[in-house]
Amino acid sequence: MSAATDPAPVVRVTGLTKRFGSFSAVDDVSFSLEPDRIYGLLGRNGAGKTTLMQLLTAQQFPTTGSIEVFGESPMENPAVLRRVCFVKESQKYPDDWRVKHVFASAPWFFDHWDAAFAERLIEEFRLPMKRPIKKVSRGQLSAIGVVVGLASRAPLTFFDEPYLGLDAVARQIFYDRLLEDFAEHPRTIVLSTHLIDEVSNLLEHVLVIDDGRVLIDQDAEDVRSSAVTVVGGRRAVDAFVAGREVLHRDGVGGLASVTVPALTAAERRDAADAGLELAPVSLQQLIVRRTNTTEKEFEKTS
Amino acid sequence: MTATSPSSTLETPRAEQTNRIWNVVRLHLTNTWVIVQTPAIILALIFAVNYAIWAVLDVSISMDSGEAVDGTQWSGAATFIFVYMSVVAAQAITVTFPFALGYSVTRREYYLGTSLLFVLVSAGYAVGMAILAAIEEATGGWGLGGHMFTAIYFGTEGGLARLFVFFSLFLFFFFAGAAIATVYMRWRMYGMIAFWAALGVLLIALVALFTYTDTWPAVGEWFATNGASGVAAWLLLPTAVAAVTGFLVLRRATPRN
Repeated sequence: MSAATDPAPVVRVTGLTKRFGSFSAVDDVSFSLEPDRIYGLLGRNGAGKTTLMQLLTAQQFPTTGSIEVFGESPMENPAVLRRVCFVKESQKYPDDWRVKHVFASAPWFFDHWDAAFAERLIEEFRLPMKRPIKKVSRGQLSAIGVVVGLASRAPLTFFDEPYLGLDAVARQIFYDRLLEDFAEHPRTIVLSTHLIDEVSNLLEHVLVIDDGRVLIDQDAEDVRSSAVTVVGGRRAVDAFVAGREVLHRDGVGGLASVTVPALTAAERRDAADAGLELAPVSLQQLIVRRTNTTEKEFEKTS
Repeated sequence: MTATSPSSTLETPRAEQTNRIWNVVRLHLTNTWVIVQTPAIILALIFAVNYAIWAVLDVSISMDSGEAVDGTQWSGAATFIFVYMSVVAAQAITVTFPFALGYSVTRREYYLGTSLLFVLVSAGYAVGMAILAAIEEATGGWGLGGHMFTAIYFGTEGGLARLFVFFSLFLFFFFAGAAIATVYMRWRMYGMIAFWAALGVLLIALVALFTYTDTWPAVGEWFATNGASGVAAWLLLPTAVAAVTGFLVLRRATPRN
């Protein structure tokens, strides 16, 4: 897929499988991540997102397959790991710690830590520095992970469910600061979440995993433009979509709204002539539909 | 032991590696309360309670009668600190280890840094307790003939020997606690059940061995001839085994999800 002139990938995974007993959390997965892009690692709860990130950061050991991060195996490899930041969504902190201890210790481990940036983020997220870490809310715990992830400026940064529990203001802060800082300090960022709409505007490329398998590995733009929703009077819509693959159908009274695969320019004109409206499909809707389809297909074949 | 291949294009300089190991020590000491203040305060409280008891004894019976002095020689008041450090070591593995992995520390760096911490803290506490023991001796048991830091198990061979005994005891409790915790991190509950069952069987087997061969007197004699510092020197052997085992077990351990 990639041309010879492309830069070396930051991550290259081939045939990666991780089994816990008879359960495959990650099942024969292959993909690569290019440098200086923002990736979305999307999937439902329990799809295998966290396990995959733990494998990439050498926290878990693969059952089979190979992992290369910055061209080397990350396993017990300080040269690789020091360039990686991954604060898990379920990260446990030492029991006796207060919030300030996280920010006191993090700079020791990340070469590119920006203390001024961290300070600014802490203020913006209003983190209670003196509060025991066991007493902070879910949202504040997420904010701690977000601040560490942003301020560490690691060449490969994973955000695991960064939005969990964050209020609207905090989500906006994360969104703005991430894009600002990414523009000044490009790096490879992986946002893992099941709340797809929340992050969809940030993403350049999406990796959707379901049941431990990669379902979609595509540019976000390509995914978005891969389908369109046709809205209008039921008859006109039905006439227009006749013979096309229907991804989704909604209708109220005489109105219908049908999602079909991408249309050509000529087809778009036809639709307009027929008095139909074309609406973009959200990333979340598309992914939900695609995951459903494969589930049905899977049921049929089994 | 090194995971970095010689052909690595991302070679980390040696000084940088040492630095990362030292950072693990700093990580453990980010909040010093668990390792420094809390045990010191508890030890002070235990001392205060003991002091009160000696004072009461001093009034009711004369300590100089000999029997009472002999009695406090068997004081177990200071043993708490060793067990406490075992728990600290176990927590370091079960909580700080998964956390350190989040800071992109390798297992090797984590274990070496943690071991270095154990040695440093053991040395620090050994010196502190040896000083207290010296004061206890010099003041005739804090003026009351009491024993806490000069209890009979810590030896009667003088201050330096006692320093060594303290040091060896701390090392043992740190590394034993850590090694047991690594078994938990690697094999979870099943590991714990297997470990404690095996330890129980081993102890019962030893008791049975000494009982059936009628060798208990020999065992007692071994302790008597080696003395506290001799036993402490032998104790370094299981400590070393625990340290190496802990490393081997942790190398394949994973954090909980």
